[in-house]
Amino acid sequence: MDLIELTKQLCSLPGPSGFEEAVFDWTAEYLRPIADEIHTDSLGNLLAIKRCGQPDAKLVMLDAHLDEIGFIVTGAQDGFLTFDMLGGVDHRMLPAREVRVLSDPSLFGVIDTMPPHLLEADEAGKTIPADKLFIDVGLTQEEALKAAPPGTPIVYASGCDELCAGQLCGKALDDRACAAIIIKAFETLANKPLNVDLGCQLSTQEEVGRRGAAVGAWNAAPDIALVVDVTHAKTPDGKEALTEGRKGAAIGVGPNLNRAVTRDLFRIAEEHGITHQTEPLPGDSGTNAAAIQISRQGVATGLVSLPLKYMHTPVETVWTEDMTAIEELLIAYVEEVEV
Amino acid sequence: MLDTMETLCCLDGVSGSEDEVRDYILERAMPFADEIRTDPMGNLMIFKKGAAVPSRRVMLCAHMDEVGLMVTGITDEGYLHFDACGGIDRRVLIGKRVFVGAMRTKGVVGSKAIHLTTAEQRKTLPKLSDMYIDIGAPDKTAAEALVSLGDTVAFDDAVIRFGDGFIKTKAIDDRVGCATMLELIESQLPCDCWFAFTVQEEVGCRGAMIAARSIEPETALILETTTAADIPGVEGAARVCCLGQGVVIPFMDKGTIYDKTLYATLGRLAEENNIPWQTKTRIAGGTDAGAVQRSGRGVQVAALSVPVRNIHSSASVAKISECEDQYRLARLFLQEMTK
Repeated sequence: MDLIELTKQLCSLPGPSGFEEAVFDWTAEYLRPIADEIHTDSLGNLLAIKRCGQPDAKLVMLDAHLDEIGFIVTGAQDGFLTFDMLGGVDHRMLPAREVRVLSDPSLFGVIDTMPPHLLEADEAGKTIPADKLFIDVGLTQEEALKAAPPGTPIVYASGCDELCAGQLCGKALDDRACAAIIIKAFETLANKPLNVDLGCQLSTQEEVGRRGAAVGAWNAAPDIALVVDVTHAKTPDGKEALTEGRKGAAIGVGPNLNRAVTRDLFRIAEEHGITHQTEPLPGDSGTNAAAIQISRQGVATGLVSLPLKYMHTPVETVWTEDMTAIEELLIAYVEEVEV
Repeated sequence: MLDTMETLCCLDGVSGSEDEVRDYILERAMPFADEIRTDPMGNLMIFKKGAAVPSRRVMLCAHMDEVGLMVTGITDEGYLHFDACGGIDRRVLIGKRVFVGAMRTKGVVGSKAIHLTTAEQRKTLPKLSDMYIDIGAPDKTAAEALVSLGDTVAFDDAVIRFGDGFIKTKAIDDRVGCATMLELIESQLPCDCWFAFTVQEEVGCRGAMIAARSIEPETALILETTTAADIPGVEGAARVCCLGQGVVIPFMDKGTIYDKTLYATLGRLAEENNIPWQTKTRIAGGTDAGAVQRSGRGVQVAALSVPVRNIHSSASVAKISECEDQYRLARLFLQEMTK
């Protein structure tokens, strides 16, 4: 399965924050034949390790989160499900939106919207507050509550597929595109002689406050961590975004990131002619790097980001050439890093 | 009936570009037709003899077109500006998947990530003129190879059946009416009947006006859909109509005061045959009836409308039994015309 196919496969599996079992189970099976060790923990993080065979080898850990934003059922009203958010959902996108309610069996649903002619004059063109939106599952009140009781998670119904010109578009590319990158890099590196032990961590609950990675990093206790996550790419109405698509791996620079690791990332990218750009991050990077950096006695952490348009929507869009650039950079870094 | 409707819903026929829908209907109806007419507008008119000559010259009418968008500009960066073709609530547009032009180029309606918006921006929706379609083209030249100014844009076409007999699709307004007519044409009819498959209803009932002049009916039955606001928080008459309470027989909407005798006849036919029916509880919307009623010497008009939630969106929701009941009632109506 190549990088693109793996990304599509991961995006097709449901895994909203805190309810990631389906996507983690599949990923664990994928990594099992490649890794020397597979570890999980109480938060559901997955850590695959490839040992280099040298005594007292240092551990370099790649991290990407595997959870996605979603929703959770809070009740039902007249047969329509009421819901709250799992993570930073863009609620402007919700009217007439198709979702998959993760009951057993799962239910298809549509977020219904008030017809425009019933809006008050001051409501037209306004975002509908989430508490005025309901999921239509085509059931009666009794059936709805039985099929999808409070606590049932929900995800966007779409998967991910190609737009033209080498772009992927869909739900959960934040951060499954990067999960696919670190898995493929791990797969390649597992067949190479290394001077370090290599960890590949797929973490949970990033979208609700990088809760998984905090515990995962503690348990893994890496010497160096490379976090791979998405970042905003420029769009016609979002020129303030710090990165651009098709400009390669975005290497983060700032207090959240270790200077030496960052310097090595830039040097290796340049030596290998890997397309890259700089993402200045004056504070918290907003990624798992913030949690991992302060694990145990502190972890030397680097951040490589994938430019993505329309973050936290069902039409997140990335460029496959940027994904390949990051994959190459991670492989070169792990092969050459001196710890 | 259901298969025909699903097939028709998946075809693209934004107002003014109804060719695909017309070609499909014509191919299926041809072997059953006694006379076929088209006109410069693109209307398709089919006459079929039945078991009897009706007391009045009768026409059934449904529109082939659907709401959509039109490409109005291509930016240097390869994004598309657009405007609405028909009445589209911009709340249901952002983050939706679309198909552009005859080549059905995949695209999404983009909007910058919620993280990059201000609190004030989050409360309002971007204007249509500030939204854009992203087809993944890297620049203007690449975009121009795939799309042209004036191309129509249709919503994503997946049809999904869900819940207790519900269906989600685009364009059910008014492919359900087209399906009802096509199924009637392919069956033995109680009386002679003209079938008008009209164009451009969504931009002002412009096709029906011309078709009615050509057919010169004395009585016309419009087969349509109508908006339903039966969601939590909307009470009483403001719901307009409710899915599950039967086909709508309207007495009045914004465009037409319907014929009182036909209104009573349709209600009686429904009751005599145990077909649930309701009327609209708010004077809203309009149908081709308005154009037909005032054509030539004037026409006696009635309508049978299927209630639809999220009507002008990619995720319209209808009750399947009510689509089938529209067909049953239309057939009973033709039977009645022999008396």
